[in-house]
Amino acid sequence: MSKNAAQWSAPPKFPASHYVDSRIYTDQQIFDEEKEKLFRPAWIIACHESELQAPYDYRLFTHPAGVPLIIVRGDDRKVRAFYNICPHRGNTILYDPAGNAKRMTCIFHQWAFDTRGTCVEITRGEQGYQDRFCKEDASMREVRCEVAFGGFVWVNVTDDAPALREFIGGAMDILEPYMEQPMEVFHFHKALVRTNFKLWHDTNSEFYHDFLHYFNRITGMMQPGYYERRYTPFANGHASVGSMQIQYDKYDGSKERAVGWPGMARGGWYMVDLFPGMTYNLRTSVMRIDTSVPISPNEVLIEFRGLGLKSDSAEERAQRVFDHNMIWGPFGRNLHEDLLGVTGQGRALRQGTDSRYLLHGREENNTIHDEVGMRHYYAEWSRRMGRAAYDPYREGKAEPVRAAA
Amino acid sequence: MIKGEQRQAIEDLVYRSCLALDARDYKTFLSLCDPEFRYTVTTHSPEIRRDMVWLDHDRKGMETLFANLPKHNSDHSPITRHATVYTVDAARDAAEVVSAIQVFRTQLDGGATELFAVGRFHDTVKLADGVARLARRIVRLETRQLGYGYHVPF
Repeated sequence: MSKNAAQWSAPPKFPASHYVDSRIYTDQQIFDEEKEKLFRPAWIIACHESELQAPYDYRLFTHPAGVPLIIVRGDDRKVRAFYNICPHRGNTILYDPAGNAKRMTCIFHQWAFDTRGTCVEITRGEQGYQDRFCKEDASMREVRCEVAFGGFVWVNVTDDAPALREFIGGAMDILEPYMEQPMEVFHFHKALVRTNFKLWHDTNSEFYHDFLHYFNRITGMMQPGYYERRYTPFANGHASVGSMQIQYDKYDGSKERAVGWPGMARGGWYMVDLFPGMTYNLRTSVMRIDTSVPISPNEVLIEFRGLGLKSDSAEERAQRVFDHNMIWGPFGRNLHEDLLGVTGQGRALRQGTDSRYLLHGREENNTIHDEVGMRHYYAEWSRRMGRAAYDPYREGKAEPVRAAA
Repeated sequence: MIKGEQRQAIEDLVYRSCLALDARDYKTFLSLCDPEFRYTVTTHSPEIRRDMVWLDHDRKGMETLFANLPKHNSDHSPITRHATVYTVDAARDAAEVVSAIQVFRTQLDGGATELFAVGRFHDTVKLADGVARLARRIVRLETRQLGYGYHVPF
């Protein structure tokens, strides 16, 4: 039997922790608050150390809170991060997304900076500023930066946020044994998708949508051990997912992954979802990293990286690239399906569609089709936002009412 | 120097390969390909300063990819490949062919068309008994942002 308007608008018959109000995916004010309350204080993956191999190598990254950053390896080989904003007239200092710059020179008036953020040149400085302003007054804004958890470069734009290790807690314990050997990025692409960033993180946080993927149904769902995979929630909204043995040879055109991963059982698969929008995804024989950069309530730019081992032979690397592309490349079987799925959510949830609630109600003892990963995320979301995900406008009503347009 | 009819046959092959793929007529597309056919999508990332391979299959791999398509959930918006053959450098029984390629995607609902991708085909064509066959196709993409991607090769 279908529902009328009142029935459609009634809250689900679940505890409030088991559903969210769909307005959290569409409201501009909530989106603006998320950038300040979730992303600005968080540690965010900006790039990987293999993208900055030599002294003076740099990489640009737009922080999800909106800040344009330069990540640069100094002459002392230390990796540092700075605002990509000239302290003179606010111009962009470096334009190309990556390169090697012994001096970072603003094209506008040729002010120049070294890789430690020190201003080393103010053109015609004395003539214009006399003794009122000098190079010492014109340093770049440095951002906290650490290389950790598999050689990734983490940044934090807030001076007083907790340390990276404190932010991550035990969430990476499941993966750290497999990240002892140096890795190297071999794949990078961005996807601009018309959906809310949380919906992408939701997709990475629940495996019930394996029904979407023929590849996963045939290589995972139908194989022993699938329903024993478990979620483990951690402080600060992170969660990990335990492994099983994926039967890659069950998919026509695929085969058992010949290139392994150090210390990992053949066919293993671990995931770690990090609040508020990053995912480590290690399937033998490839590591994938997703970093979400929210653009608007219904638009997210996702950066995808694929990594192998720095020690790979040419043959091993080619096999990892093949394995990656089979499911995770822009033409891969699974990534397209996942992105199509969340684009459909973006279409159905945009403002004015009368979507009301999203269910997170599956309970299966924290195993693979349990929706505890999303429940755990939204508990943290609610705590940091000061809004309940099921009642974001504090309406306190059994049947929440939409805000006026 | 390549003969006029040879160039005609090569251009015809490139355009027919586009028409077949546009029509999702994979049988016809594969009939244009040599038994040793290999298909690769590559691009360069200025971000990580590396060449990348995004798809790489031999003929058997392409056959399997096509056969698996109905089992997957895919965007059904049709795409249209617009190729222009730029250069043909022929030896006696083979030719290296460079074509510009633009791919347009048309939404099923409403029919709006958008530019999806631009790049080049770098084809190796085998010539035998007046017949041209695709032996190798490298799709060198300039476009790297493909939104939610696509299941069918360009």
